[in-house]
Amino acid sequence: MDYSRRELADRLAAEYAAGTLRGGARRRFESLLTAHPALRSAVRAWQHRLMPLTGVLVLEAPPPAVWQRIQARIGGDVAKAVGWWARLSVWRGLTAAATVATLALGVLLALPEAARPPVVVVLAAADGSASPSSFVAGISADGRALVTRPVTPVALQADRALELWSLPAKGAPKSLGLISADAATVLRKGKVPEDTAALAVSLEPTGGSPTGAPTGPVLFVGKL
Amino acid sequence: MATSPSDWSEKSRELAALLARAGLGDRAAFARLYDRTSPHLFAVVLRINRDRAQAEDVLQEVYVNVWRAAQGFDAAQSQPLTWLTSIARNRAIDSLRRKQAEPPVRPAARNDDEEHDVYDDLADTAPGPLALLGRASDARALSHCMEGLSGPQRQSVALAFYDGLTHAEVAEQMRQPLGTVKSWVRRALQALKSCLESAVVRDVSAGNS
Repeated sequence: MDYSRRELADRLAAEYAAGTLRGGARRRFESLLTAHPALRSAVRAWQHRLMPLTGVLVLEAPPPAVWQRIQARIGGDVAKAVGWWARLSVWRGLTAAATVATLALGVLLALPEAARPPVVVVLAAADGSASPSSFVAGISADGRALVTRPVTPVALQADRALELWSLPAKGAPKSLGLISADAATVLRKGKVPEDTAALAVSLEPTGGSPTGAPTGPVLFVGKL
Repeated sequence: MATSPSDWSEKSRELAALLARAGLGDRAAFARLYDRTSPHLFAVVLRINRDRAQAEDVLQEVYVNVWRAAQGFDAAQSQPLTWLTSIARNRAIDSLRRKQAEPPVRPAARNDDEEHDVYDDLADTAPGPLALLGRASDARALSHCMEGLSGPQRQSVALAFYDGLTHAEVAEQMRQPLGTVKSWVRRALQALKSCLESAVVRDVSAGNS
């Protein structure tokens, strides 16, 4: 079958989202999804059309035991990951930045809650507007890795960049680096200052603030 | 094909923020996400797999999966609840495949009334799939999309979508040839698509293309 054919792709995507594509055909379709962006977007379009139809179902709270089992499962995951940070420092010298970034994300994700939970900060629009955009930042417990991610992509002019700042309780903001407006960014240049009271994102020229202090408007801010 | 995040409801924005935080390992955010969404996802799963113990297992798998995949949620591509509901439906449908026992036998329609919803014969208080589709159409102002379809066409897509029946099961239940049922479901889906087309086109042009 030629899955690149638009009409066929759309029909299969419809049957997949509606649930009537079953058994081996469903499995085959799923294995094709990873390699075919057009199929994926057709599926997303159908999910977007069909899923709201479930909005009329009568809500039913699951029994508390389900949440307890989920917690046990995701707790089990992180126990295995103890010591990743140590291994990461070895990897640092050996691998490309992208791999390190992936690992660092994995570390933050996998840090055991009891031992060293990451600090997660939500950076909301600084002007108090109901802007849909915001950033989340996760700081590893040892303060050495910081991940930022826009909740929704931020539209940016070509000659502008976003810069992340550590704001101490008193004193001048310290730059933590440039961050992406539409994807996750991993910053690992030294430690996040211990006196950091809040994080802020400012709008700067490409390449970052020329003065070492924020020059553009502060767009997002979040207290630790 | 999602609507632009700037058009999202308050709830969508909140869920997107909770997902983003969960993606960075924030368990409190994940717990709140569970509180906000699990009654809906459990209803979705339970509608497809009526075995409560299995439905609970499915729900558990869904959220473990969401915890691991939260980082991959892309607000530019999907609305959070659509994303979550799709994961839940997929898991629920997969759980039917593994089910040893056949789904409970449902009584077939006793008369030829096209609008008759066979589920109304059951003592079950849950609304039948056709009633659900009707309510969903009303709620989303899609009634006119459904008007061009015959009763059996509507019923076939409702049985397949809400209750997770296969084409063969729908055919059996409606006592119609398999080929007929397949084309009914296809027609109904196409009708829904063309009805939403203008809205989708608007979304795409407003999107991040």
